[in-house]
Order: sequence, then C-alpha cells, then structure tokens
Amino acid sequence: MYSSLSEILSLTAEKRPEFKDLRNLEAPEPMERILSAGAQLGPEDVYLAHLPHTPFPLFPLLEKRGLDWQIHEEEDGSVLIMIRVSS
Amino acid sequence: MKTVGLSLDQAPQLSIPASFFLTMPVGVLLAGYILLKTGIAPLLSPWMPHAVALTHAGTVGVLAMGMIGALYQMIPVVAGSPVPFTRIAHIVHLLLITGLAGFVWRLLGGPVFAMSVSIFCFGVALPAFLLPLGWALLRGPTNDVTVQGMRVAVVSLVVILLIGLFMAMGFAGGEFSANRTLWMQVHLTLALLGWVGGLIMAVSWQVIPMFYLAPTVSKKAKQQLLILLLAGLVLPLIVALTGIGFDGFFTGQRLTAIAALPGALVIWLLHPALILRGLMHRQRKRSDASLLFWQAGLGIGLLVMPLAMAAQLLPDPRWQVLFGWLVIWGWAATIMHGMLSRIVPFLVWFHRYSARVGLEIVPSMRSLLPQKRIKIGLFLHLSSVLLGVLAICFQANWLAQLTGLFLVATALSMASMLIYVLRYR
Repeated sequence: MYSSLSEILSLTAEKRPEFKDLRNLEAPEPMERILSAGAQLGPEDVYLAHLPHTPFPLFPLLEKRGLDWQIHEEEDGSVLIMIRVSS
Repeated sequence: MKTVGLSLDQAPQLSIPASFFLTMPVGVLLAGYILLKTGIAPLLSPWMPHAVALTHAGTVGVLAMGMIGALYQMIPVVAGSPVPFTRIAHIVHLLLITGLAGFVWRLLGGPVFAMSVSIFCFGVALPAFLLPLGWALLRGPTNDVTVQGMRVAVVSLVVILLIGLFMAMGFAGGEFSANRTLWMQVHLTLALLGWVGGLIMAVSWQVIPMFYLAPTVSKKAKQQLLILLLAGLVLPLIVALTGIGFDGFFTGQRLTAIAALPGALVIWLLHPALILRGLMHRQRKRSDASLLFWQAGLGIGLLVMPLAMAAQLLPDPRWQVLFGWLVIWGWAATIMHGMLSRIVPFLVWFHRYSARVGLEIVPSMRSLLPQKRIKIGLFLHLSSVLLGVLAICFQANWLAQLTGLFLVATALSMASMLIYVLRYR
C-alpha cells in the first residue's frame, strides 16, 4: 500500500494508479464525490482525485471523519489529492 | 511543484456572511424609498445631496454589504487563511448600517449630528474590518492572482474611505479644504475601479470556473490585467496628490480621469469581454438563471466605458448621472445579485449538509433555490435598470418614482430569495 502521495507521484506513468478527474464538475460536486468516496474507504484503501484548485473547505470535513489527506499542487493551479483512513 | 499539508477549520459561521447579504435588500429598499420620496431630484445632477444619498444607498447599502460579506467568506477559502476575531464582523456590520443611516438622513435634510455619527461609525468600522481581513490576506499560504486582486480591492477601500471621511466632514459642520471636485473624482475612480471592479474581477476568476465550468483566463493574462488596473489606480492618486492641472481642457479632474484609463479599460472592457467569451465556451452548458445576471451585468459593463467618456467630455449632466446609474445598479449590483443567487445556496448547502454527504441522503445545492425565484429577481432588477435609464433621459418625475417602485419590488424579491434559502432545512 502507498505510504504517501509523494510515493505515488514518484512512480512512472504506467505504474501510477488512476486519479479520478473531478476538474470538470461544478461546485460542490467534487466535494460531494470525495466525501461519498471517503465514506466507503477501508483501512487499506486510498482515494485519489484531480481537482481544479485547493479545496480548503474540504479539509476540516475530512478530518472530522477520521480521514487523512495529502495534496500536491500542479503548475497550472490544479491539485492532486490522496485520502485514506487515519491510522 | 509542492506537497502541502494544512489543518484548518476555515469557514466562518454562516451568520457572518448572511447578515451582510441580508442587508443588501435593505440598501435596495432605501434607494427605492429615496426615489419614491424625492422623485427625479437625485437623477438631475450627480453632485446634489439627494444624488449623493442615492449613490451611497447603492454603494454602501448594496455593494459594500455584499462585498464585505463575500470577503469574510471567501478569504479563508481562497487564501487558505482563517480571518481572526470573526465575531468583530457583527460589530462592523452594525457600524456600517448606522453609518449609512446617518449619512443618508443628513443628506435628505437631517441634522448635522447625523453626519458626525456616520463619520464616527465608518471611521471605526474601517480598522475593525481591515485589520483581521488584512491579516488573513497577508499571511495565507496561497498567493495567487485572486488573492492579489482581493488585496488591491481592500487597499482601494481603505483609500476611498479615508477620502470619503474627509469629504463627509463638509456635511458635518466642518470643512474639506482641498479641491472637492478633484478628490471626488479620485474617490469615484478608486471606488468603482479598485474596490468594486478589483473585487468583481478577482472573485469572477474564482467563481466563474468553479460554478459555471467556463475556461479560466490564463494566469499571465490575469497578472497583466492586475498590473494595468493598478496603474489606473495609482496614476490618478499621483495626479491628485501632485496637484497637476491646467486651465482649459486638461483640468486636474480631467487629468485624473485620463490617468484612470488603464484601469477603466481593464474593468469595463477587457474583463467583461474575456469572461463573456469564456461563458460562451462553457464545458457543460447547463441552464442557470444566476448566469443570466452575470451575462447581463457584464454586458452592461461593456456599455459603461463609452458612458464614462461621455460623462467626462459632454456638458449635459445627464451623462454623468446615466454613467453612475448604470455602473452601480446596472453593472456591479446586477453581478452581485446574481452571485448572491449562487453563493448563498452553496453556503447553506456547505454549512448544513456537507458534513452528512456520503453518510445519508442530502438535498442537492440546486434544489435549495428554485430557478423561478432567481428569474423573478432578474426581471425586476433589469426592469428597474431600464426604467432608471428612461427616467434620467426624459427627466420625468413619474418615471423616477416608478423606478423607485421597481427597486422596492427588487428588494422584496431579493429578501424573499435570501430568506427562502437561509431557512431551508
């Protein structure tokens, strides 16, 4: 299992798991998708998504649900996010 | 490329932006009342006390209320930095309402002390608003162009409030010893281009792609627009402070207006054109009444530029009044009315339902506000804009009062829309 987002990003394109592309969804749909997916995560699962910008309001909601998150900002301002159950 | 880890409880209580937003219809109601009471008088010349009262019912009662409420809400979200001491916002709100009431009362023939109260309230509201928001804007981890645009808007607000406070002393038994016409021009320039225009532009860069999936303006283009806008704000200040001016055509006031040209081009030509073009190329063309407000407001924005030139160059005062009417109620207030109809349902959804998403069935954001309510508001708002234009052109008392009536109806529709969404459970 992946230990961090950096580890995933260091993988080659072929080995890298797929990020759900949520960039073409109207607010608040990306948030809805992430929260719904987060509710289904098992202890070993990770959820990966590509967002149009840093979702600051999402972070406290994830933390309240016992979910860890890591983000990586791309050059174009979009953001990759990894979510998993807090250990 | 960087990996960021933040732990922030960002969003302010819903009551903070909501209290400012709920005051916007009161500002519209006040503007309607002024027109119903005084008829055509405020629409004859922009320098008459009734016109100044009507203008500030719009700029402070409607625009500033919406913009300050939006800043309290958006700075934590966009800049990633919570605003400290947010409860002070309720005091700022109260001070602005009292300040506006005193200001309008004095200008409609009330006692001198009403203006003194107004000056005190605005004077206290400024640091109470500015210090916590400025702190959040400066220390946030994000420094993108939207945040930079917000900084330009907030700094413009400080300057226009300071100039406004000094000028208001003339109505409070004191004296404004500098060139009143010249500083009025600077006050107007920074208010319309820096504070209102700067914030509309910065916020649109954030909300247009987010809510309407329209392609964003490139980062480079945004930076160039901001630099041009800054030039259009700093140059008029320099002209006014150095006192440059000549007899004949190039008076200090006119030179100030010319110096503002780069900013005017950005706010009333380039920005509306770029956003309208982006909206035409939306990725998902979903029908949305709030979008019609944006399109109408930005379209009116394109008319403002030639009107601004006519107001400067042509002797008939109706051009100046027409410019003021269209820029405040036609361009800025139309856009803000539209933003309300999209942002308030989003906030209500976020504060009441987002924590339960995925755990139980929650209503969608779109179901919180029926499109029909937004369309009624749009019809009333645009009708009042058009009636106001006719009243100014024909200088007819009955048209001015009819405009006032439509403003009252718009206020009631806006209030009903806000209450409907905010009470949704």
